Amino acid sequence: MDMITVEQFNFAYPEASKPTISDINLTIKEGSFNVLCGKSGCGKTTLLRQFKTVLAPHGKTTGSIKYKDQPIGELDHRTQAEAIGYVLQNPDNQIVTDKVWHELAFGLESLGFDNATIRLRVAEMASYFGIQAWFYRDVAELSGGQKQLLNLASVMAMHPEVLILDEPTSQLDPIAASDFLETVKKINRDLGTTIIMTEHRLEDIFPAADQVIVMDAGKIIAIGNPREVGVRLNLDHHDMFEAMPAPMKIFAGVDGMNSESAADICPLTVREGRQWLTGHYAGQKPQYVKVSAARQKPPVEHKTPIITVKDVWFRYDKSLPDVVRDLSLNIYPGEIFAIVGGNGTGKTTTLSLISGVNKPYRGKINIDGKPVGRMSGIERFRGLIGVLPQNPQSLFVKKTVELDLYEVIGGTKERKSDEYQKDMPKKTAVAGMAKLMHIDHLMDRHPYDLSGGEQQRLALAKIMLLNPRILLMDEPTKGLDNHFKKELAGILYKLKQHGVTIIMVSHDVEFCADYADRCGLFFEGNLVTENTPRAFFADNSFYTTSANRLSRHLFDDAITADDVIDCCLQNDR
Amino acid sequence: MDQFSTYHPAINFFYFAGVILMAMFFNHPVMMAEALFAAVLYSFFTLGTEKALRFNLLAMVPILLIAVLFNPMFNHYGVHILGYFPNGNPITLESIIYGFVMGVMLVTVIIWFSSYNKVMTSDKFVYLFGRMIPALSLILSMVLRFVPRFKKQLEVISNGQKCIGRDVSSGNLIERAKHGVRIISIMITWALENAIETADSMRARGYGLKGRTAFSIFRFDNRDAIAAILMGLAFGITCIGLALGAGAVQYNPYFKAAGINPVTPLSLLTFICYFLFCLSPVIIDIMGDYRWRRLRNSQETGISMTGADESLRNAMFGTPTSDENNITDAERMSKGKIKLWT
Repeated sequence: MDMITVEQFNFAYPEASKPTISDINLTIKEGSFNVLCGKSGCGKTTLLRQFKTVLAPHGKTTGSIKYKDQPIGELDHRTQAEAIGYVLQNPDNQIVTDKVWHELAFGLESLGFDNATIRLRVAEMASYFGIQAWFYRDVAELSGGQKQLLNLASVMAMHPEVLILDEPTSQLDPIAASDFLETVKKINRDLGTTIIMTEHRLEDIFPAADQVIVMDAGKIIAIGNPREVGVRLNLDHHDMFEAMPAPMKIFAGVDGMNSESAADICPLTVREGRQWLTGHYAGQKPQYVKVSAARQKPPVEHKTPIITVKDVWFRYDKSLPDVVRDLSLNIYPGEIFAIVGGNGTGKTTTLSLISGVNKPYRGKINIDGKPVGRMSGIERFRGLIGVLPQNPQSLFVKKTVELDLYEVIGGTKERKSDEYQKDMPKKTAVAGMAKLMHIDHLMDRHPYDLSGGEQQRLALAKIMLLNPRILLMDEPTKGLDNHFKKELAGILYKLKQHGVTIIMVSHDVEFCADYADRCGLFFEGNLVTENTPRAFFADNSFYTTSANRLSRHLFDDAITADDVIDCCLQNDR
Repeated sequence: MDQFSTYHPAINFFYFAGVILMAMFFNHPVMMAEALFAAVLYSFFTLGTEKALRFNLLAMVPILLIAVLFNPMFNHYGVHILGYFPNGNPITLESIIYGFVMGVMLVTVIIWFSSYNKVMTSDKFVYLFGRMIPALSLILSMVLRFVPRFKKQLEVISNGQKCIGRDVSSGNLIERAKHGVRIISIMITWALENAIETADSMRARGYGLKGRTAFSIFRFDNRDAIAAILMGLAFGITCIGLALGAGAVQYNPYFKAAGINPVTPLSLLTFICYFLFCLSPVIIDIMGDYRWRRLRNSQETGISMTGADESLRNAMFGTPTSDENNITDAERMSKGKIKLWT
């Protein structure tokens, strides 16, 4: 049976010249798992919100959306609250009450159930989602992953028939994100709830999806099962193909994937990709097992480090355990150094030690041979260190992007201050920075109206206007889609050319493998190993990229999809 | 571990309201001694031994001493003059006694409140007072959610600002104020923007429908009923006794208290009931501890004798499922071992 049918649907915001989404035709089958993907700002969220009319933005609509053969606008608030569950992006903002149990009961209270029914439903949900261990806690004590799980559970407590999720994992770290996605899959599998979700992490979600809908500029450009969609995007040479899972990209690069029939054999998961690759070489070891010389980065001669961290120990409180223990580390000028590792291993703390916000109780941290602890805040943060916070919104003050950029260098008046000591007029500096960060077309927008990637670039622009020589970034790719990640990498390369040293903490191994100069693995407050990404990821067996996991039994040092394609092409020539 | 806090919030609240009001309005020496004793004893259960010791000795004793020292300096009533200040004002026995009484009252109430904070958690308070006005309970709950959240966000923002060299804790006064204002401004924008999403989430879950109910995890069971009756009885008798004058006392111009010399049956009954009322959580805790110890002892002897007295265990804990069974078995084994070694 069809759960939701969309026919010839268009939507335009008031006073907008052209529709935000147009010509949408779509059928959502009962019990199916639907993934909606596309670049940020392509109209995904606008479309999702149409399925939940209390959340739908105002505007002009034409065409029809039917829920079980009934126009969706005619559903009353009660049926809609019950039957259509909606989970939003930010785990924190959705939580209304202060206790976990109260949050679980919130929707049921609204529907007016009696105490006994709510008690049962809440108990059921807590058991199903494994919440019972923190049932009585304050929500403030929960981790991001737990909060988002709570949001999901409190929507599920109302027994919805359709569950809509709008980029639910964009604020979570990868481990919490894949746990969350597993739970969503489990709901679909065990309960048969119809799922419609938008998501960037396609690698995790594609194997479970029945239908993938790809949108671009407000239109559906591909629809079908995951393999069909991959083939279609590849045939159209659409840049959304970049976002497809690595096995699919490798398959396309090697096999060509030039006909519709490729959809039958195209691999989706690492397991399938590995089997396909083995089959491709008929079980033999290929002749060339190394990535060609053109792709190998030349080894860099490092002279004097810009930052030296020597035997550093740190804990937040005398009675707490050490967070960073016996850490020694050298960072060289003009490199991108990536720190990877699990949660709570002291990565973020290390950044705060380098920036001097926290001070070690033993050991030395020198920048340019000068101890960080002896520098004043002004010395450190004006012209030496820039720190990009995880949440860019914590930097935005003014009502337009342009004013916000001026704000950081002491306003629009042309005079020198300790924030701004260059001879260049401020106007040139701001315009140049905006261009460098690709935000020059957004100058009169409100910072909060930008998308996640744009907000981050604005924050980065603000930091870079202070002209730091060292840039510290905490999870710069969190919540960004592949397209924005690429843009970010381009910007980082430009900064590197200007001589900026970049240290980033990231969970995103794919990003680090592609763009870092060196990677270091953190464990228990210490750097276990550090090397160039190629040597680093080729040595790891688990903590590595999916392209490497897929090909490591055949190739020695292929760590990205392009590396694997390169290896294959050498052999196939 | 305090067990009184697991009783129904109404009982918790009734108890604290009762003892705190009594401690504030009646300063009969016997009642004050009883209340102080019970308050200190109970604080050991709620705060834990170490914290309670530190709190009572390091914070409460000085307060008491200050009250004893200060009152005679400013009050000079009373008939028993002990000496004179250099400026000619008399030091009287009554003013010293009354300073002591004031100190004890203050200390008792503070100790009660420290226990109150541990026992009456926010959700209990919301539950009790939200019942009168259902919308209020949600608002209280949301406020309690916002306060820690704002605090955390404020920290995030001020750290972010620190990293572009704008520290509220350095620079001159004007700069600091400017940075502070900027942080508040960012905070307000952030709060307003994010509140929109919270409102969406509420509407998506049917907020605004007619006939909203208020769910609670608290249940008034037999145990609560018994506690309520007994505590109510003790409190009722105390009140009647006090109404009949058992708590009468005067400190000015000379000290005189009812029911001490000679002890009357009425005052004896009142004081005993008041003492029992003040001690009721302690009694509940001690009884609970005793019952638990006896239960565990009998369980351990049962195990050591037969090894698997399933029927007894099932009768006590309900029928366990198979894997729970494994866990309890393992626990039992480890417990048995520990027992053997010690």
